[in-house]
Amino acid sequence: MAYTTFNANQFDSTKEPMFFGQNVNVARYDKQKYPIFEKLIEKQLSFFWRPEEVDLATDRKDFIDMPEHEKHIFLSNLKYQTLLDSVQGRSPNVAFLPIVSIPELETWLETWAFSETVHSRSYTHIIRNIVNDPSVIFDEIVTNPEIIKRAESVTVLYDELINLVSVQSIHGFGVHTIDGVKYDCSLWNLKCKVYLTMVSVNVLEAIRFYVSFACSFAFAERAIMEGNAKIIKLIARDEALHLTGTQNILTLLASGVDDAEFKEVAVACREQAVALFVEAAEQEKEWAEYLFREGSMIGLNAQILSEYVEYITNVRLKAIGFDEVFPARPNPLPWMNAWLSSDNVQVAPQESEISSYLVGQIDSSLEEGDFDDFDF
Amino acid sequence: MSKGKPVTGIPRIKLGNHTFYYQYEPSLLDSLEAQEIQAPYSCRAGYCGCCKVRLLEGEVSYIDEGMVDLQEDEILTCICVPKTHIEIELPED
Repeated sequence: MAYTTFNANQFDSTKEPMFFGQNVNVARYDKQKYPIFEKLIEKQLSFFWRPEEVDLATDRKDFIDMPEHEKHIFLSNLKYQTLLDSVQGRSPNVAFLPIVSIPELETWLETWAFSETVHSRSYTHIIRNIVNDPSVIFDEIVTNPEIIKRAESVTVLYDELINLVSVQSIHGFGVHTIDGVKYDCSLWNLKCKVYLTMVSVNVLEAIRFYVSFACSFAFAERAIMEGNAKIIKLIARDEALHLTGTQNILTLLASGVDDAEFKEVAVACREQAVALFVEAAEQEKEWAEYLFREGSMIGLNAQILSEYVEYITNVRLKAIGFDEVFPARPNPLPWMNAWLSSDNVQVAPQESEISSYLVGQIDSSLEEGDFDDFDF
Repeated sequence: MSKGKPVTGIPRIKLGNHTFYYQYEPSLLDSLEAQEIQAPYSCRAGYCGCCKVRLLEGEVSYIDEGMVDLQEDEILTCICVPKTHIEIELPED
């Protein structure tokens, strides 16, 4: 089935499944199959922010004064965040847009990926402000073996899905051999790939990102690199929304209400899905060792960060109905919550951008009784 | 979810063997925190789902729209307030 940008067929998109139904035609949101995506879009739009709003002048000074091992922690963490958002700024669009079948989900994917591009722009803003030559840092992202290792595991499923969907769009469903390479483009296998890719995206946004947030906030807990933390706080607020999105997609798929076959897919892929969480947790623990190999910083070391990895992995597994894989433990970084909550910034408005200030939050819903006390 | 007894006066919140009055805090989560109860939370805006607890008795009203898939007896403490006397149960860990 070749992709078409405007499907001329007449059909009711609320009867289509989320993926592998008809290509979307009219981007209409008056009737929706899953209003949750519309809510996510509205929330994401109300969160709109720009990195340039945050002043980083003191961060530059803080950075210059940092000991070498802390500079290593800060920069490595920032490079990792840059990598993750580079992937997320494009991949949801490339991978999922050609196969999505309902307009509200299509728009959510685009809104989601767009906000990731704002995050990428933030890293440039931060790096430009703390060092003289940003290229030194950006260029190293593709040469640092520790980061490359991570890049491979966050992109492998995306790439597999994208390739299979490309082959399928030309050759149709079925198993195809092209230049000696076998491509299993059966609908079943494609659905498995969609499910697992979505799990891997959830792992990226709900675990990998949070580990990096912990490092960013740990600096700010000591009252240094506070501008950076303010930006990361805004990024974290967006990411919490994105991970709610992937969790909703995953639970909808696994429940079978959207597409009965996806229920079987979710069961068949369950073991692989859990393995993705475990693999990411192990990698993040290795990453923690790498970050702190030249020395710890006050408030955070490899062990505490590894405990946080286990804790957050359990939380995310439970959220999509899976069993915990690590021993249950209380949050080893309780101060993280203060940074992750979306509106506890209590400052005078003239002193700082208030991250809880919502744009376009007008409730336009009207009920019959609303005009009862109205006299002409 | 069972219907709560009609409220006379200020709603009461029961958690295990601890009962206290709702002091009109902005959210149920704030009420719990005012009692120094370590209730789970993260985004405080109804979309991360971390503050999910079980509502055993009574009713709550929402002050914001949640975005989390909830079971029949689950509520998000960060965006609701008690409407009647309520009894809740926090998740295990």
